[in-house]
Amino acid sequence: MSRALIMLLFPVIVFAQDFSKEDYIYLKRHEHIKIGLSKNSFDISKQISEQAEYLTAKKLYFANESLGFDSFTSVEDINAYTFLPSLNKTIKVDYIETKREFDNGIFYSDQESKDFTFPAITKGAITNLNYKEVIKDPRFLGLFRFGTYVPTKSVKLSIEFPKNVEIGYIDFNTEDISIDFKKETLNKNNVYTWTVNNIKGFQGEENSEEVLYYLPHIIVYIKNYEIKGKTHNVLNDVSDLYKWYVSLVKQIDVKSLDKVYAIADDIVKTHTTKHEKAEAIFNWVQDNITYVAFEDGLGGFIPRGAASVCDKRYGDCKDMANLLYEMLNHVGIESFRTWIGTRNRPYSYFEVPTPMVDNHMITAAIIENDTIFLDATDSFVPFGMPSAFTQTKEALLGLNPNNFQVIKVPIQEANKSVSDIASTFTLDNDTVKVSEKRTFSGYEKVDFITDYTYKKDDKTEEEFLNTTLALGNNKTNYNNIKIENFDNKTTPLVLSYDLTIDNYAKTVANKTYINLNIDRVLAKSKIDIEDRKYSKKIDNKFKKNYTTTFTIPEGYKVNHIPKDLYFDNPEYGYNITYIQKDNTIIQKKTIYINTLSVKNKDFQTWNDFIKSLIKAYKKSIIIEKNL
Amino acid sequence: MIKRIIFILLIATTNCFAQHYKTYDWKENPKLHDLTSTELKLASVGILEKYIVEYEKSMFSQDLNSYETTHTITRVNNEKGISRHNTVYVPMRDVKKVIDIKARTINADGKIMLLNNDNIKEVNNVEEYGDFKIFAIEGVEKNSEIEVLYTVEKEYDMHGTETLQSNYFIKEAQFLFITGDLNAKVKAYRTETAFETTTVEGKLAKLLTLKDLPAMIEEEYATPNANKIAVVFQCTPKDQKITQEMFWNNVVTNVGGKFFLEETSPLVKTDIENLTNDKEDLTTFEKASLIDNFIKSNFTIVKNNNAELTDLEYILKNRTSSDFGILKVYAHFLKALDIEYEIVVTANRFTYKFDPDFFTPNMLRDFLIYLPTEEKYIAPDRLEYRVGEAPFQILGNYGLFIAESFEYYFSKIIQSDPNYSRIVRNTDITFNEDMESVSLKQYQEHTGHWAVTSKAILSLSTEQGIKEYEDYLTSSGIEDKVVKSFETENADMNSLKYNLPFITRCTITSEALLEEAGDSYIFQIGKVIGTQSELYQEIERVNPIEMTYPNQYDYDIKIHIPKGYTAEGLEVLNIDKSFKSVTGEKICKFESSYKLEGNTIVITIQEFYKSNEYDVIRYDEFRSVINAASDFNKTSILFKAIE
Repeated sequence: MSRALIMLLFPVIVFAQDFSKEDYIYLKRHEHIKIGLSKNSFDISKQISEQAEYLTAKKLYFANESLGFDSFTSVEDINAYTFLPSLNKTIKVDYIETKREFDNGIFYSDQESKDFTFPAITKGAITNLNYKEVIKDPRFLGLFRFGTYVPTKSVKLSIEFPKNVEIGYIDFNTEDISIDFKKETLNKNNVYTWTVNNIKGFQGEENSEEVLYYLPHIIVYIKNYEIKGKTHNVLNDVSDLYKWYVSLVKQIDVKSLDKVYAIADDIVKTHTTKHEKAEAIFNWVQDNITYVAFEDGLGGFIPRGAASVCDKRYGDCKDMANLLYEMLNHVGIESFRTWIGTRNRPYSYFEVPTPMVDNHMITAAIIENDTIFLDATDSFVPFGMPSAFTQTKEALLGLNPNNFQVIKVPIQEANKSVSDIASTFTLDNDTVKVSEKRTFSGYEKVDFITDYTYKKDDKTEEEFLNTTLALGNNKTNYNNIKIENFDNKTTPLVLSYDLTIDNYAKTVANKTYINLNIDRVLAKSKIDIEDRKYSKKIDNKFKKNYTTTFTIPEGYKVNHIPKDLYFDNPEYGYNITYIQKDNTIIQKKTIYINTLSVKNKDFQTWNDFIKSLIKAYKKSIIIEKNL
Repeated sequence: MIKRIIFILLIATTNCFAQHYKTYDWKENPKLHDLTSTELKLASVGILEKYIVEYEKSMFSQDLNSYETTHTITRVNNEKGISRHNTVYVPMRDVKKVIDIKARTINADGKIMLLNNDNIKEVNNVEEYGDFKIFAIEGVEKNSEIEVLYTVEKEYDMHGTETLQSNYFIKEAQFLFITGDLNAKVKAYRTETAFETTTVEGKLAKLLTLKDLPAMIEEEYATPNANKIAVVFQCTPKDQKITQEMFWNNVVTNVGGKFFLEETSPLVKTDIENLTNDKEDLTTFEKASLIDNFIKSNFTIVKNNNAELTDLEYILKNRTSSDFGILKVYAHFLKALDIEYEIVVTANRFTYKFDPDFFTPNMLRDFLIYLPTEEKYIAPDRLEYRVGEAPFQILGNYGLFIAESFEYYFSKIIQSDPNYSRIVRNTDITFNEDMESVSLKQYQEHTGHWAVTSKAILSLSTEQGIKEYEDYLTSSGIEDKVVKSFETENADMNSLKYNLPFITRCTITSEALLEEAGDSYIFQIGKVIGTQSELYQEIERVNPIEMTYPNQYDYDIKIHIPKGYTAEGLEVLNIDKSFKSVTGEKICKFESSYKLEGNTIVITIQEFYKSNEYDVIRYDEFRSVINAASDFNKTSILFKAIE
């Protein structure tokens, strides 16, 4: 009775949304998870039912459907058809193909898909899809998205489970939607149902957080079950997740570890301190093990044996993490296999005790009471710094088979990732000549080397610098390009070159105008507040210090020097000063970013910063010919 | 030399029918090869890339047996080189049997590591490429050499292709074509080196050896993938002498038989009625457009293995077709509305250069419909195009044109309207009183391929894609711009008019365009035309110049000089760069000039590229025109306070 009442009331209280401008919407996306338990074995399946409507004939490509599965799931009983209301006609999907895809990041994966195309799609067509997904492991109930890339009129998730099973659930980003949640009892089972009506579409934006940071969704999981008065935990909390990880780690192949130890001994033989030894081992793994990922059933969770990784010279994150673990412990450095979710996953181990929480593995080494996070999948990150994409994230350190510890990977402060730019300007008619030296440390160095290695392609060094640094105008010529400490991990990289920039200075009568801001970093990062939906993601904190010295040519005097300018905020800002000293004008400029994210409420402040910076960039010095 | 002949004779007599792959092997004791210091600086170097194709008479059937061996030795010098070569994908399409796959690594110390064949994975039905065997090379470090050798027996196919050039430097590439006394033809593209005739295992063979092949680099205004050195071959049984003409005739009969109809199917009757809606006096162009619009709004083209996707009845019922099957729908519709058409078989010029002199089915992947009375094309499997010029990906390639009479001819696919693609843009610029910001009022007309692209992106793309494109349409490159208003006209992809312009109107403000200099201002006028491409060429140009398509820009910019200021340094606005054809006609140019009309500066810019192809030896002239636009992009003028 109460159920019927809710159903009746529901459409009235829902805030009506207008989807008439859309090309394609979901009329419904319903998922029913059914959990069966007999003895100690689960029988889990999801019944999925979707209906979508083509409001225009523009995006017919949505007719192509792809249902993914892997060795932990299977897709069965697909019933798909198109209904054409104008002709009152139904046409069934009669051809389904099992396909694979090559993925750039993962060399071999067991991920497959059932692909098909809805027939007779045109304006007004309604597609219907029903299928069953069988879940083979009770830890992988996955997540359910209330929102998706286009609007949905009716969204429903229900989970039906025996009364002796306890279910956990946690929702995310649901502040702005209205969810109807109810608990019911049906015979031997409990049923939880979440219903949402008329939810807008969510599409990704450039430079914003991953979709899971703003997409309304829910994670449900099996906490435990009770048989004959005894409770058996599945994923009651993080300790159960850890127990499962321990059971996987026990399956690691430990054959021929002597070979690994011999290599480790050889690497550290010239080093004395633990710090040096750990650094040498980390550098060796970074340099000698190439990233190649295989995701094959539980093989996607169990690291391959360290000896085999050493032999093959390739591996994925968990393989490198385990190899580091073996080598470091062997040379007497306490270290732990460590599970972690990268910044792409917005979850905490304490809220989401399921494999959804993480997607990566690293090694944590303890040296003189410091915890050092080692991620050899980033080939260029210096020893002592975590990979940028793991900052702020919880790391689950496996201390021993019974104990773990969760520690947050610290944010690396801006003064660890610094670019120092020293430039001298001289003037030759309206051509400006600049000698510049850039010194990069931390992530500033990592970014430069990564770009240089992978983005330079067939370009010459000059073209590469012209397009990445974009100094002056694109008429800038580079000479004497030198790069030092490219392979030396801990020493800052030094990049130097000479520039000639034609038509850069502007002379009218006896006055010459020159703008000393040839590097206009961040000038293009204004946020379009009106259209922007989600927070801006920043990869790492950094600082850039510029010292620019302009030599006043003989026979000239200074006519105008811009005023000092600054924007001061704890999270980001800049400071520019000019002084005249002897026959030079010296500009000092510092730009810093002290945050990893600009939230929507701070967009205006960010734009004020960028606007102020652009204004400062616009100021020229003027010199005047002595008459 | 004598020794070699004896050696060949020995093998020939003792092992008369052996296939070459049985004796071909890698070195038993491999050593690292000596490389020059320049080669050591590259990410990777192909030391040897050898392809052996062998055909032989089958003992058991009419078909020939065919075997293909691939043998590569590659030095990897750094991380990028390793990641370029440490994963191997062996295509299994049309493979009858894998005879052998092996791989090994020789590291810098000379240590050899052999691939464990248990680690070879099978991946089936990958996208449109079929099945693969894949493996990761084991034991690779910097400065290692990777050697891969595999042989497959293939289903008999009388045609084949092999690309010899790659995106990295190759010291030696070889193509060995062993055919004995069978009918065989082989041809190499884009090399002067000739095949030598030789004997392998007592069988007649052709060998092409190329030394020091440069890396085919990505260049702008080029089709590098289609420009790689490649070979094509044909092989048929001894008693089947087939000329190129016979091959082409076969295609014509085949294709023609499917797409030229005695009568239209009754199944299309309702669609046709709905389509024309009893409209009379429709021109041929309008009728063709109605058909094109209808099909592209009601049919989905799919790439999978469903054999029924070429069956007319199935296609019409499911409104789903292969790219080939959809031609049948067009054929029936065109026939029903009595429109004359030809079928064009051609290729994407960024992938293949169509060769009328050598029949290679692999290169015949694209189909167009040509309307001879209109001199217009329909591109059936290109959602963004409607009746008009051929898609730019095809433009300039040759095509096989098949008429209803089954007569055929080869012709280059050109634009009937040389001024098809244009951007006309009028910009009116004013300054606010405190000289803090600039306001741009802009009107734009896109035609031709520009309009096709604009309409398609705005209709089909994601929110982010549309956002980026709107940025491009509203003076991209002005970093702090604020778009106050933006509207479009004629954005619908469906139209009954030829080359209906796509129109945008917008108002933009910016502060960054005005730079302070004491009491004067530097106005970054160049940025108003948007970011321009710049061609760098410190490395010698490899590819001939091919435009995306011929095009023209006509810009009018009016600058209202702010009160209290004079405009100085205007001479930078005069730029004139052009490229003349041998007949003296300007075939591409960038020309900008200004006039002062009272308090208004009127800048007129015309830039055009009349031809789609330019000789590589005139690259510098071409580049100077392209770069002239980017020179303009860097210009600024001064507003000097009146003292």
